[in-house]
Amino acid sequence: CHTSGMLTPNGKEYAQKIPREELTHLILKLLQAWKEPLSHFNQHHQELPDDSLSKAKQISNMVHELKTGVEKSMGIISNSLNGMTSSEAAGLSISNEANMMSDSDFIHCFRRDSNKVQSYLKILKCRIMPENSC
Amino acid sequence: MKQKLTSSLKILLLLALTAVSLTGQSYPGKPKIIRCRSLEKETFSCWWKPGSDGGLPTNYTLFYSRDSEEEIYECPDYRTSGPNSCYFDTNHTTPWTTYNITVTATNEIGSNSSDPQYVDVTSIGKKGRMKWKTTSWRFQPDAPVNLSLETKTSANTMYLWAKWSPPPLADASSNPHVYHYELRLKPEEKEEWETISVGVQTQYKVIRLQGGVKYVVQVRCMLDLGEWSEWSSERRVQIPNGESPPEKPTIIKCRSPEKETFTCWWKPGSDGGHPTNYTLLYSKEGEEQVYECPDYRTAGPNSCYFDKKHTSFWTIYNITVRATNEMGSNFSDPHYVDVTYIVQPDPPVNVTLELKKPMNRKPYLVLTWSPPPLADVRSGWLTLEYELRLKPEEGEEWETIFVGQQTQYKMFSLNPGKTYIVQIHCKPDHHGSWSEWSSEKYIQIPTDFRVKDMVVWIVVGVLSSLICLIMSWTMVLKGYRMIAFILPPVPGPKIKGIDTHLLETGKSEELLSALGCHGFPPTSDCEELLIEYLEVEDSEDQQLMPSHDSGHPSKNTKMIPKETDSDSGRGSCDSPSLLSEKCRECHTLPSTLQTQDIRDVQENTGGKTSRETQHIASEQKILLFNNETTKSSTWPAAQLPNTQPPMFAYHSTVDAYKLTLNTANVNIAPVLVGNEEKHQSQYPSTETVHNDTEKQREMENLHSKTDQTTAQVKQNRPNDKSPFLNPKVMDYVEVHKVRQDEQAVLLKHKENSGKTEKYTVPGTSKEYTKVSTVVDHNIIVLMPDSCIQHTSVSQEPAMEVSPNLQQGQAEKNMSYSLTAPNECKRETSGSEYMDPSSFMPSFK
Repeated sequence: CHTSGMLTPNGKEYAQKIPREELTHLILKLLQAWKEPLSHFNQHHQELPDDSLSKAKQISNMVHELKTGVEKSMGIISNSLNGMTSSEAAGLSISNEANMMSDSDFIHCFRRDSNKVQSYLKILKCRIMPENSC
Repeated sequence: MKQKLTSSLKILLLLALTAVSLTGQSYPGKPKIIRCRSLEKETFSCWWKPGSDGGLPTNYTLFYSRDSEEEIYECPDYRTSGPNSCYFDTNHTTPWTTYNITVTATNEIGSNSSDPQYVDVTSIGKKGRMKWKTTSWRFQPDAPVNLSLETKTSANTMYLWAKWSPPPLADASSNPHVYHYELRLKPEEKEEWETISVGVQTQYKVIRLQGGVKYVVQVRCMLDLGEWSEWSSERRVQIPNGESPPEKPTIIKCRSPEKETFTCWWKPGSDGGHPTNYTLLYSKEGEEQVYECPDYRTAGPNSCYFDKKHTSFWTIYNITVRATNEMGSNFSDPHYVDVTYIVQPDPPVNVTLELKKPMNRKPYLVLTWSPPPLADVRSGWLTLEYELRLKPEEGEEWETIFVGQQTQYKMFSLNPGKTYIVQIHCKPDHHGSWSEWSSEKYIQIPTDFRVKDMVVWIVVGVLSSLICLIMSWTMVLKGYRMIAFILPPVPGPKIKGIDTHLLETGKSEELLSALGCHGFPPTSDCEELLIEYLEVEDSEDQQLMPSHDSGHPSKNTKMIPKETDSDSGRGSCDSPSLLSEKCRECHTLPSTLQTQDIRDVQENTGGKTSRETQHIASEQKILLFNNETTKSSTWPAAQLPNTQPPMFAYHSTVDAYKLTLNTANVNIAPVLVGNEEKHQSQYPSTETVHNDTEKQREMENLHSKTDQTTAQVKQNRPNDKSPFLNPKVMDYVEVHKVRQDEQAVLLKHKENSGKTEKYTVPGTSKEYTKVSTVVDHNIIVLMPDSCIQHTSVSQEPAMEVSPNLQQGQAEKNMSYSLTAPNECKRETSGSEYMDPSSFMPSFK
């Protein structure tokens, strides 16, 4: 996966140790890293049946919304800009790699990364608002 | 003899044969029973194969006998199993007997029977078939199934462990007969079988096997003392000799219970005769380093436990198991696993029930549980979703309810008194698998709900019984009234015109209306009628008018208390001057007048005036007088002759009163029939104006007597209005311009407007002309003036009477005859009687 180079906590303990901002950063980075490949995927796979295509579009939209939501909720705007600029450069190269992936690998990687994002977000949520079903 | 017989027989046969050969027909060929089979329960069927039919239609019959019995039976059912078959149903099947079955083919020419076959009907119901064994058909069960073979090593010896299942029963509920088994095996290349009797068990260990040889194994069974089944299908097994490397192990599964650690299990293959070691090797995605399983023990044999340190997420593990023995080693296929996706939590724990009873609502159950202890839900690392299922204790199917991430559930719709079983399991919210179901929890719904219902029902029952008691009590006490209310009594026939009740109640208006007096006093309609019928003449014809039925009892009463003539003060439609007034007044007359009139009418048969009416009329007149002092009593003025008397009457209270008294007194005797005394006694009482009620009573009395006159009264009714004209009014009459041969203009209101005054008050400057007689219904004979004055003065009572008379005459049948017009006398005696009934219709 093109995001394999990112340093992300591989277990619960590591995830809990990381400070909040860094975790948020990570999440955003991950989401950002997938923005371009997803749109690329949608563009180049018009031959798929309609429901799959719409699903893919739906997913890329969700990723974008999730990113925006995380940004807003964490109040990180300016920081992300900084962070993004540095990672965008990396992201571009990454996305080039992503374009070369096969479809099954692409989907496999996306599945994993979305799971990562979900887990990190959940940890964040329970850290910030522990009373809410945590 | 014998020879002859045989020879003759032969000849016969030859002939038959030739006949057959010539014609091509012969007796049928011999049928043959091909099989018998037990289909189900305690039934079986046999099939036969027909021989040649000899060219003719052939019938087949099956005969059988049992064991050693002599009796021969025929097949009970040829149809059920199809053509050429015989079906023996439960009634005809006796197990444990041998049937001797024969099939006979018959055609027109002859018959032929099959060889007798013995069918052993043992163990009917087992799955199998009847097989021909030597001399009889015997039941043969099916072969055993599911034969499995395993080689095991113990104490350096190899043995083969064979397992199988008995043949499935056609009828599961039939008595489980015990099977006996037999096993046979041989090396693959060899031909000889080694047969081993196993007994009743379904497994067997075979020892003394050659290593490295492939064996073929089969097994069969037998029912009690029946036949052996066929051999089951072959199974081959390789006996490992002690010199082979182990077989490839296989990894069964890897699981993580809490998304922090995971375990993998494998299954070893055969160990090749030597003890085998198993090692698990793994490598992570992106790394080349191969590690060995950190923990073989924690999770049990043939497993590997990866603890937290060794567990990484979002990386793929490449896991293999290596089996090693002295001869070599073998690797299993690699197994790739990402721990994130293999999470299978433990079942939830602490399943508790709580019965909550909120106010004003039904009680409900709350089921709560906690997540499995190992799962770290608090940090959000692992999010679990729950699902529970429940069913009534006796129920068959579970009802599954997805609960989500909450750890409690409210149950509202459970039946009280029943027991339910509930179970819960969970799953990670992302990829993962469901846990095992938690242990069963029994819910006993309390039945105290019912108590409340019972109380309610008891209260309802008590209340309803109370209500019933009250109702029945009411019915008993006031049954009659209620019945009368519900079923009103059937009214008796009503005589048209007279209602006794009306009379009793003293409502003269109604009575009068019943009698047909439309409007008392008469309205202006009277005028026309009267005008029609009244004709004033100068002639002195004193023919009295036939009695007119006085349909105007009202008039009578009004008119006259004073006058004894039958003119009883009828409505004054006659008088033109007073007509309108009077007519108006008519309606205002008290009802008593009306009733009295009726009385009047009723009583005055034969022209009698009713004293009482007069009396009452007097009173009424008094009343009237009070009411209408200025107005002349045009009431009676309806009749020309009548005008005066009423006016007379009304003129002064005293006078009227006197008149009434006088007249009453005078007229008592002749009038009242049988009630004279009463009347007399009553009359004095009438002096008081306030005795109207008495008068009314009198009226009533009279009324009661004179029922017979009701008819007349009725008749008079339509003539209510007309008879105001009293042709025989002898007294004062409003003088109209009279022309002979003319109809009475007297009555014409318009014409005589100027002279109305004359009627009102006697003694005024009005001209009064006495009417001596009334002739022919419409001719009034007027008295000469001299007579009038004379009479008026001298006979004040008479005068009083006379108007009455006149009125009465006008209104009633003028039965009395007046004296000659030349005389100024008038009859008073007879004319005093007023018969209202006689007045009316005569005018018409």
